[in-house]
Amino acid sequence: MVRWLASRTAQAAATFVVAVVLMFFLMRLSPGDPLARLVGDRQVSAAELASLRTRFGLDQPLLGQFRAFVGGVAQGDLGASIAYYPTSVSELIVARLPATLLLGGTVLIINFTVGIVIGVWQARHRGSAGDRWLSIVSLTAFALPSFWLGLILAWLFGIHWRLLPAAGMTTPALDPGAGLLPRALDVARHLVLPAATLCIITIAVTIRHQRSAMIETLTADYVRTAQAKGLSERAVVWRHAWRNAMFPLLTLFGLWLPVLVTGSVFVESVFNWPGLGSLAAEAILNRDYPLVMGTALLVAGAVVAGTWVSDVLHVALDPRVRV
Amino acid sequence: MSRRTLIWAVVLTLAACTGTERRAPTTLTIAVGQLASSPVPTMTEGASANSDVANLLFLRLAELPPSYRTSGDSGFIPRLARSWERRDSVTLVFHLDPNARWQDGVPVSAQDVAFTIARARSVSPQMATLLTTIRSVEVEDSQTVAFHFSEAYPEQLYNATYHVPILPAHLLEGVGDHSEQQSAFVRQPVGSGPYRLAEVAPGDHLVLQAVEDFFLGRPTIDRVIFRLGSDPEARNNMLLTGQADAVQAIAPADAPRIAANPDLALYTVPGFGVGYLLFNQQDPNHLDRPHPILADPRVRSALVHALDRPRMLQAVYREFAYLPQGPAARLHWIVDTTETGVPFDTTVTTRLLTQAGWARRSDGTWSKGGHALSLTLNYPSTSRVRAQFAQLAQEQWRRVGIDVSLNGMEGALWIDRRTDRQFDIDFSSATMDPSPAGITQSWSCAGIGGSNVAGYCDPKVDSLLGLALTDAGNALAHYRAVLETIRADAAAAFLYSPSTIFGIHRRFENVTIVPYSYWLDVWRWTVRNGAGGGASQPADG
Amino acid sequence: MITLPSRGLPAAWRVSGGRIGAGILIAIVLIAVVGPHFLPDPAAQPDIIAGPTPPGPGHLFGTDELNRDILARVVGGARISLLVALLAVALSITVGAVVGLAAGYMGGWIDIVLMRLVDAALAIPRLFVLLLLLAVWEKISLVAFIVAIGATGWFATSRLVRSEVLRLRGEPFVLAARSLGASRRRIAFRHLLPNTLGPIVVTATLGVGHVILLEAGLSFLGLGGVRPPTPSWGRMILDAKPVLETAPWAGLFPGLAIIVTVLAANLVGEALRTYFDPQHA
Repeated sequence: MVRWLASRTAQAAATFVVAVVLMFFLMRLSPGDPLARLVGDRQVSAAELASLRTRFGLDQPLLGQFRAFVGGVAQGDLGASIAYYPTSVSELIVARLPATLLLGGTVLIINFTVGIVIGVWQARHRGSAGDRWLSIVSLTAFALPSFWLGLILAWLFGIHWRLLPAAGMTTPALDPGAGLLPRALDVARHLVLPAATLCIITIAVTIRHQRSAMIETLTADYVRTAQAKGLSERAVVWRHAWRNAMFPLLTLFGLWLPVLVTGSVFVESVFNWPGLGSLAAEAILNRDYPLVMGTALLVAGAVVAGTWVSDVLHVALDPRVRV
Repeated sequence: MSRRTLIWAVVLTLAACTGTERRAPTTLTIAVGQLASSPVPTMTEGASANSDVANLLFLRLAELPPSYRTSGDSGFIPRLARSWERRDSVTLVFHLDPNARWQDGVPVSAQDVAFTIARARSVSPQMATLLTTIRSVEVEDSQTVAFHFSEAYPEQLYNATYHVPILPAHLLEGVGDHSEQQSAFVRQPVGSGPYRLAEVAPGDHLVLQAVEDFFLGRPTIDRVIFRLGSDPEARNNMLLTGQADAVQAIAPADAPRIAANPDLALYTVPGFGVGYLLFNQQDPNHLDRPHPILADPRVRSALVHALDRPRMLQAVYREFAYLPQGPAARLHWIVDTTETGVPFDTTVTTRLLTQAGWARRSDGTWSKGGHALSLTLNYPSTSRVRAQFAQLAQEQWRRVGIDVSLNGMEGALWIDRRTDRQFDIDFSSATMDPSPAGITQSWSCAGIGGSNVAGYCDPKVDSLLGLALTDAGNALAHYRAVLETIRADAAAAFLYSPSTIFGIHRRFENVTIVPYSYWLDVWRWTVRNGAGGGASQPADG
Repeated sequence: MITLPSRGLPAAWRVSGGRIGAGILIAIVLIAVVGPHFLPDPAAQPDIIAGPTPPGPGHLFGTDELNRDILARVVGGARISLLVALLAVALSITVGAVVGLAAGYMGGWIDIVLMRLVDAALAIPRLFVLLLLLAVWEKISLVAFIVAIGATGWFATSRLVRSEVLRLRGEPFVLAARSLGASRRRIAFRHLLPNTLGPIVVTATLGVGHVILLEAGLSFLGLGGVRPPTPSWGRMILDAKPVLETAPWAGLFPGLAIIVTVLAANLVGEALRTYFDPQHA
């Protein structure tokens, strides 16, 4: 077990490193000058351009820049963003973390509560009209483009019916003296639409996975044994069958972790949700190298960590898996 | 209602009310597309988001007259300088307002003015060019500063006051450009303006706090909050749902919806910007050779005549723009608003193309010597307006057989291609200074190698521009001749000069918006009585 | 020798679901191919001042903000979306199958290196790589666009094929072929590959739905490989954003087109999954 854990962890670390290196060179090798954004179409002298280039280390050869980057990371310094100079990359990322975790966390929780319940229900009533309709609905939900759904919801609930805010995470004109509760409620109201958009689309996957896993276990012999023993329906379903049906969900959890971190670029863009996804996308378009690498580190780390966690959970919890 | 529910209701209501015992400050929340990260003069890096905020934190010596006439000495509005006089044809003397103070309490002095001009010249070559006619700035005493110019010309007062608001010498003297100290100053700027920077949340919002003892009168609005809304729809939503009080640059299609809201008022402010399709006269593949298609003025003129410019303008901007007839906006004092420019006439197009040696094929397209009349149009994909105009122009050219394919490219790449002169037609958009002297940068032979990326060169324009800068009496005639020549040369198809549409909550009164720096006069706005609260919160629980 | 896939007993609705999906897809292809001949030019702007007009006689889906017929543009967009999806997916599964075969069958350090690369590539969100790649080209030609999408979508397929190959490696028919002296290449392509076709086909069909959504998303961000005046569903939704309040039809119909197409592809994919692997359906 320990040997497996060690090798699995080494594998994760290697993957992480390779991913980061790939991102670094992919970023640097694409044309487009990060300074073009800063400079705009003003007339800039060669001297000014040169000083800007030195400031950001862009005059170094590629390997030199890489070494500088690695050195910086080793010291915990991700550098300053080019587009938001002089704000540091870590400052920008940390500023966006709460929003990202809030949105991603909410979607995750809803997926793994509502999604599981519906999936189990469908499995128990498989073949019924309800099961069929739910499957159609969830397949349709999965076919929805996230940006389109977001636009429709924003328009419907935000503008047409004026029920919910359709932009941002907070209302900054809120009196700074306002207590914690009004502020929390304010954020919660802003969270509804973006979370709903993501949930509607992602829950379809969760439901399908849970449904198929449950069907598999519900038809298994040990379940029939439990039923024959006279256990209540609820006990049979939740204590015996579900215990085994939850394993595919562990894989899902590993897959959802990166979504949690990167958010969804489209949803963040439509709702102006200040998350990491839109920050990263913007950084890429701006050729803001330090910021891109900072978010790349985070995202790659999240993905690698996510799959690692799901693998470990599988090994630890699923009695059928032996290493 | 059950007891439990009642108790919860009371608890929640109390909780909501406790935070608002004192009167909520008067707040103006402005939804913007970009947040200022460096709101200090000479460090704005050309971003209007930065200069908009910088102009609230730092004051100029004087502001432009309401006519925006940049030539002459009359009509300018005193700010840091209470008065000025002309000592001779090359000397202007400013008397500073003795009550003007920096936000750390130190009085504003003539030394600050001298320092600012020197600083601006040293950190930015572009500024140095704009200030080049100022030979020296002399401190005569703590409140008096004299500007000595290298020659007599009509825009001396403009050049001395407009380009850079004044910086505090006592805080920035000796501080290196891009140094740590400078970054510290940028994070907590100390200015002489009606507001100071109170709070920055990068990527979300910026808060400005009124300076209590501002020497020109305490601002009625206590706080100005700049809130980021990533795209125009989000910003409009913020305005409509009450999360923002003011939004700039509302699209014409959205204007009716904003106007229909009883709480909001629409303000249309003409601008100094011009959008135009620039024809590259150099061959992108061999920059020292003329463009195989566009070097011929007849072809360029044919292209311009094929566009129904007034109709295109109306389709995109409704009534919220002016149709420019050259590189000048309606606000530029040199413009003749009766001039109708190049007419829409496709018969002229076919005639000119035929004269230039092009022959029409059976499918309607043109060819000459085996080459098709086929061009590409570059524009930044982020600009919706330009995307719309581009598609309109493409279709109109298609109808006369001219094939133009559209390259909507990502911003940084578009700038690259433009600077490297790698384009056939570039959809340029320039926000110009109030002074028409800026025309020299992009439209004179001297500008080639710099802002004149199309390689347009007509010596007549250069000499007329030179005359206009020195001959004060006939400047208007000379500038108009410049515009006439650029039109006749068909250097570009001038498509739009947009007015900027603002949506502002009706509780704000005495609203004035300055075209070259929108929020400049915010400190003089008033707020209707009883409506003191922030954008979406009531004044009490 | 090919082992036959076991035919599970699919639930009634799934089979009909697959049929419905296939029917819809065929209809869409037909409309995309034949439709443009009966519809106005999607680039024509008859009356630009009129702007967007609601659905009515002459314009079944209304017109967009440049007064172009939306029905014509939706049908035109179908061509592009289907073309991009089919070609990109074809590229993805080809590369993925080859890589997966190589890794699974050759094993050893080839397997380790390839799978490490695949893992690393999977750690980078596909959208980010595409943003990087697409921002490179100023004229994102359609071909480049398709290649970019295809080149970023083969990783999961390669893993799938690899695990299938690993499973089949020890099967009797493979060992039999080896003992008869078949070359490794022959075994790989004649024996292993055909047996992995099942999962590949399922992945491909579901992949079509993914790519359509991805292409629409990229066009929505302004980075699509389709340039005006050629219509693209994602682009149409982007253009409809500012006029959503006054002209909701401009964004509604392209969105519905995407949903119907992706749903149809997913229905077919699900049905195929049931057919090839009923236990895990």
